[in-house]
Amino acid sequence: MTVRNKKPILVIGGGISGITAAVEIAEVGHEVILIEKEAYLGGHVVKMNNYFPKLCPPACGLEINFQRIRQNTRIEVMVSTELVALSGERGDFKASLRTTPLYVKNTCTACRKCVDVCPEVRPDDFNYGFGSTKAIYLPHDMAFPMKYSIDDRYCKKESCNKCVEICEYEAIDLFAKEEMKEVEVSAVILATGWENYNAGLLDKLHYNEFKNVVTNVEFERLLAPGGPGKGSLLRPSDQKEPKDIVFVQCAGSRDENHLPYCSAVCCPASLKHALTCQERYPGSKIRIFYIDLRVTGRNEDFLKRVEENKNIELVKGKVASIEEIPDSKNLRIEAENTMKSKKIRVETELVVLATGIVPNQPAIEMKTNQYNFMSGEQKSGVYAIACGKKPMDVSSSVKDATAAALKTIQTIR
Amino acid sequence: MVLDKKIGIYICSGCGIGNCLDVTKLSQAASTENTLICKIHKALCSPEGFEIIKKDIEKEQLSGICVAACSPREKTELFNFRDHIQVERINIRELAAWIGEPGEENTQVAAEDYLRMGITKLKTTSIPEPYIEDEICNDILVVGGGVSGVTAAIEGAKAGYTICLIEKENDLGGWANKLYKQIPFKAPYDQLKEPLVTELIAEAENNKFIRIYKSTAILQIDGHPGRFEIAIKHVKTEKIVVGAIVAAMGWKPYNAKALSQLGYGTSDKVLTNLEFETLIKGNPKQRLPGTILFIQCAGSRDKDHLPYCSSYCCGTSLKQTKYIRESNPDSSVYIVYKDIRTPGMYEEFYKEVQRDDRVFFTKGDVEKVETQSEKLKVIIKNTLLGDDISIMADMIILATGMTPATTADLNLSYRLGKGLPELKYEFSDSHFICFPYETRRTGIYAAGALRAPMDISACIEDAGGAMLKAIQCIEATKRGEAVHPRAGDKSYPVLFMDRCTDCKRCTEECPFGMYDETEKGTPLPNPARCRRCGICMGSCPERVISFADFSINSVSAMIKSVSMPDEFEEKLRVLAFVCENDAYPALEMAARKGLKWSPFIRIIPVRCIGSINKVWISDALSCGYDGILQIGCKPGDDYQCHYIQGSELTQKRGENLQETLQTMMLEPERIKTVFVEITDYHKIPVIFEEYMNEIEAIGPNPFKSM
Amino acid sequence: MIEVLPDIQFKKELRRVSKAPLNECIQCGTCSVVCSLAPDEKPFPRKEMIWAGWGMKEKLIANPDVWLCYQCGDCSTYCPRGVKPSEVLAGVRQITYRQYARPRFLGEIMSHPKWLPVALLIPVVIISVILKIAGTLSIPEGPVNYSKFFPHAWLNVSFTLLTFFSYGLAYSGLKKFWKDIKMQFPDFQMKKSYFNSFRESLIAIFSHSRFGKCSSQKSRRVSHFLVFYGFVLLLFVTAYAIVATITHHYPLGFLNPFKIAGNVAGLMLIAGLGMMIINRLFNRKNFGSSNYSDWLLLVSLFFLTVSGLVVEMSRLLNWGSAYHLYFLHLVCVWFVIIYLPYTKFGHLIYRTLAMMIATSIGRN
Repeated sequence: MTVRNKKPILVIGGGISGITAAVEIAEVGHEVILIEKEAYLGGHVVKMNNYFPKLCPPACGLEINFQRIRQNTRIEVMVSTELVALSGERGDFKASLRTTPLYVKNTCTACRKCVDVCPEVRPDDFNYGFGSTKAIYLPHDMAFPMKYSIDDRYCKKESCNKCVEICEYEAIDLFAKEEMKEVEVSAVILATGWENYNAGLLDKLHYNEFKNVVTNVEFERLLAPGGPGKGSLLRPSDQKEPKDIVFVQCAGSRDENHLPYCSAVCCPASLKHALTCQERYPGSKIRIFYIDLRVTGRNEDFLKRVEENKNIELVKGKVASIEEIPDSKNLRIEAENTMKSKKIRVETELVVLATGIVPNQPAIEMKTNQYNFMSGEQKSGVYAIACGKKPMDVSSSVKDATAAALKTIQTIR
Repeated sequence: MVLDKKIGIYICSGCGIGNCLDVTKLSQAASTENTLICKIHKALCSPEGFEIIKKDIEKEQLSGICVAACSPREKTELFNFRDHIQVERINIRELAAWIGEPGEENTQVAAEDYLRMGITKLKTTSIPEPYIEDEICNDILVVGGGVSGVTAAIEGAKAGYTICLIEKENDLGGWANKLYKQIPFKAPYDQLKEPLVTELIAEAENNKFIRIYKSTAILQIDGHPGRFEIAIKHVKTEKIVVGAIVAAMGWKPYNAKALSQLGYGTSDKVLTNLEFETLIKGNPKQRLPGTILFIQCAGSRDKDHLPYCSSYCCGTSLKQTKYIRESNPDSSVYIVYKDIRTPGMYEEFYKEVQRDDRVFFTKGDVEKVETQSEKLKVIIKNTLLGDDISIMADMIILATGMTPATTADLNLSYRLGKGLPELKYEFSDSHFICFPYETRRTGIYAAGALRAPMDISACIEDAGGAMLKAIQCIEATKRGEAVHPRAGDKSYPVLFMDRCTDCKRCTEECPFGMYDETEKGTPLPNPARCRRCGICMGSCPERVISFADFSINSVSAMIKSVSMPDEFEEKLRVLAFVCENDAYPALEMAARKGLKWSPFIRIIPVRCIGSINKVWISDALSCGYDGILQIGCKPGDDYQCHYIQGSELTQKRGENLQETLQTMMLEPERIKTVFVEITDYHKIPVIFEEYMNEIEAIGPNPFKSM
Repeated sequence: MIEVLPDIQFKKELRRVSKAPLNECIQCGTCSVVCSLAPDEKPFPRKEMIWAGWGMKEKLIANPDVWLCYQCGDCSTYCPRGVKPSEVLAGVRQITYRQYARPRFLGEIMSHPKWLPVALLIPVVIISVILKIAGTLSIPEGPVNYSKFFPHAWLNVSFTLLTFFSYGLAYSGLKKFWKDIKMQFPDFQMKKSYFNSFRESLIAIFSHSRFGKCSSQKSRRVSHFLVFYGFVLLLFVTAYAIVATITHHYPLGFLNPFKIAGNVAGLMLIAGLGMMIINRLFNRKNFGSSNYSDWLLLVSLFFLTVSGLVVEMSRLLNWGSAYHLYFLHLVCVWFVIIYLPYTKFGHLIYRTLAMMIATSIGRN
């Protein structure tokens, strides 16, 4: 089992797939460089409140992965870093990486003193704009790396300087510059993940205009203990706990006018949301409007739990229009119950749009399909995985990352 | 051993530690513990602070250091001296300074106790010498030559490993070989493809790293990761040795005989999807009957048959529709479904099949199938057409599901059973979303439809992942390291067999089947199978088992090193064993959030609460601890315990503990077990407070005065 | 319980006529929801889409819901599968005209562009025969005087008789249509009398109120309003003109109020038809595609209007081609008026009848 090639393997993207690929490769015994464009690892999964079917918190799985990273000296993690260029071939690639300054060094102990003195405020993008943080902020409670960052769009830099003055560990460097680094690697894994489809484009659903229409990823944050409600589900318009919620499946998916494909995970995600909501608020009423309920394998049990819950109603028919009731800011949704051949109008307090997955790509030429999903094998030695390749759930992403790890190891033996 | 160690203790006053605790007094307390050096710094993680430690290690030839500062989960890479010296991270930040009141005496005492506990631990443990098996084999066994097995073999061979691929039939390819055509994996979706498996088989047969054994059965599998000894039989018996195993034995179709109400068995014109595929493959040019009706979810998603969804049947029925339409342009095809499950890009294939004018879809419940002369009358209710309907079909195809093959065919000679543990519905799947390859048998990984119902493209992906885990296991075993979740852990259970009474609790309670039995019935450990959770250590009533860096003695010593207030002081002492995986991070998060709890609590992190040995409880109680709290990860059907059943065992062992307490004439409420999730930080102070109140109500431990 | 036997011929014809993808419908119900004209109970067009997919001709052909649709195209715009329900319904309507056309061959020749020459030939031949019998099948000399070419009496009588003849033939088909609709509702319960339903329907028609409900394309209401009222006005003018020919006050002077009304009607028609044609040609995204019977009606109405104005102009300006244009104009009149029950213009009757029944059973 000779290792012919001692170059490390580059993993681009620090979501659950990238993290998995990196630890799996490192635990076989090879060096890995893991880069992530945000200041923290975890991608979308770290924003989730729980995942199906066990409804356990992703922080648990991520914590084990972070432990594996912490004590594995073969993994180099570079946050706030992106791929700029890639050249070469299998076994011998040259990658240009750009690290955007976070203005906080690794000596940061996350003691929080800087936050108290910072005068500037920014929208909290971790919570999709619900709420705000200071210009110097910790991305989220269990951030890995546990280190603060400065948003230079809002920071007043040397003209303010308060954080620098208060920091006991000299951890802030407001003059930090962008850094470029060239690395030589033997193989590359693209784990660049996805974004949520822009629900503002669904014109009859009025996502941009009506405050109490949110997307599934936003709902995830509303439910999360670290979210804007701190564990209480508070609806955006009046911060009250909604007792009646409607889920709109296939919002902008399976739709020639938006995303023609199916994003695979939105059905189980909405079922998960419904059950989580019900567990927390047993008196709440939830309705899910769908076209086909797509859960496969054992996740069917999950559907059964929902079906057996008297407070959750499943209606086959897509919600095609939403109106707002002016005073209460409640919403009236309209759908046809296709099994009963009846148009129904339902008043509800919160609407969750199950919007789909749009793949991300690194800033280099990629082979993609017509929907911008990357081909699994870009060329020999470069592999795209998980949601950048096709929509899939967490378990499948982990599986895919593990398989890709093997492909990269094949390049060095 | 204890006296030989040159220990340096470094106390950090940063991150608010110095604001709450008197670090000078702490250093004095530490100095009494036989440490060579005791220093204070305002930021041990800073370059200057770290330099001091480094210099001391070199100059004084220290054998171990205690870093009394922040959580061991922070700055881990910095304080990692790669087993050259022992490092004990004593968390006086989260566990004392942040949860206590500044200047409060009890908080100071707590910090001192943690110092003592940490130093004691350092003295009573050692850097583990990894157990490295001799004769580790690099070959990998793949059981099952279907599409998953063949893919796993090819991927493993490409990584330079020799693969033994065993198949019980005469041909490779499994069920995938019986396919006429396959659904397209990528755009355009308008053409069915030749089955991929043919290429894969050719590739495997031409690969010199893959040794193929057809018509071969497994008689027995012995051994452990790094060295599995397999007895196989093909005409005669042969022995092979491998380092890891990928189980890819696949599936078998659901027995449609149970579906007589859908006409199966009563009419020869009612076939399963597999039978239909075989029919077509046998004679692709045959003229199929004019009207064919598919009943989806036949015996699936049904509590009386298979409760789960088999994932592949919607796509397969669409594919078979194309067969029919291509063979007979005058045919009509009906598809009656509960939901059409074509996730992701398969939606394009669904559209493609829909485009045909003579394919008719509706949701509906098939109520009855009647034979009427040469035709079958199908009555369907709850349709989208607004009426109940009846269709006269010439043939009905039941889209039946898959059930897993029997893993007992592996014939593992593990005491816990011949096959792989089943999760649900007989599938050997992992219950961990973030770790899909957990089979509870280290070194043996399940791939493909054996693990969970999946279609061919999912099997191929799964196989690659399982093969990686197999390779990784061999490599880790070569280094004497554990695999997930304690990846990299070099410790392993050391047994002092003199005290062993062959009760075999360790053997039964180990979730991973680490222990076999000798002929005399004595537990026989296989360290390479071990996950280092310590559940066996917790199970042993004779305290036979320990780890070099986590032992019965070291924890007992830690417990005893804590200062014990006398009976008149009216101060409680509570011991809390906290699982490192979910509970401990939750505790730390609570502290980070500024939540507080009683300074009378002494926390000992453990690998799993299943590793808690009864002796620690009795030691604690006889020392005078007023109560013992065990906080771990959730057990139950949706268990989160990272070692499967550690938490559950703790619950079960609770009964034995009650006996211990009774013999000591103590109240059973002194021991409490609580389960938390990693995000339950807000519950931690509540748990502690409730427990402290309960203990106060019971009153102090009478043993305090002794 | 329905015994399913899809009518594949019907489905293929529907696909051909509507050019709609149809098959990829996933029955989501978006179309029914965005349709502001669809009632809550058994709304359209979702159920029509699956009936169309299953070739259930009997469910579609005498289905009043098909006529409650005003082809605004909202459903097609929002349909996530792009299966164009509005065009499918338009296609059903086109097939309906043919289905109930009596005599059948007239319905056939109006259904496909390949028969257009035949459809044109019939009026050309018959008008020529009439002229021959009248003895005026030749181009007269001197200033343009249409009565020299086609004497008024001959024109008025022949065309009136032909109209009544055509409508008379069509009656049996329409009667069957009425009956077939009623059969769709076996537990038919009259919530309103036919008279009241008819009255209500007329009010809705004249006020264009249902157009107003079709929210998205407001211009459709305007264009149809112009065409409708332009045509109504033209009917009055024509009636007056017929009387005027008898009282020898014909042709009408330019400043005659009826003449002015006629020209105004012509302009209204051109404006309305022009809007419709431009929308259907250049704004398919919002207005959907048009099928053959849509175009046939639009074009024939357009030619009718334009030719009428041109004929007037050529009389005033004494063009040499005046009589040829007049002949053309008469062919257009034939197309629009005499062929009415067999073309999309028949929607006057079909839709009104469907609305009556729908209102009677409370389906409005």
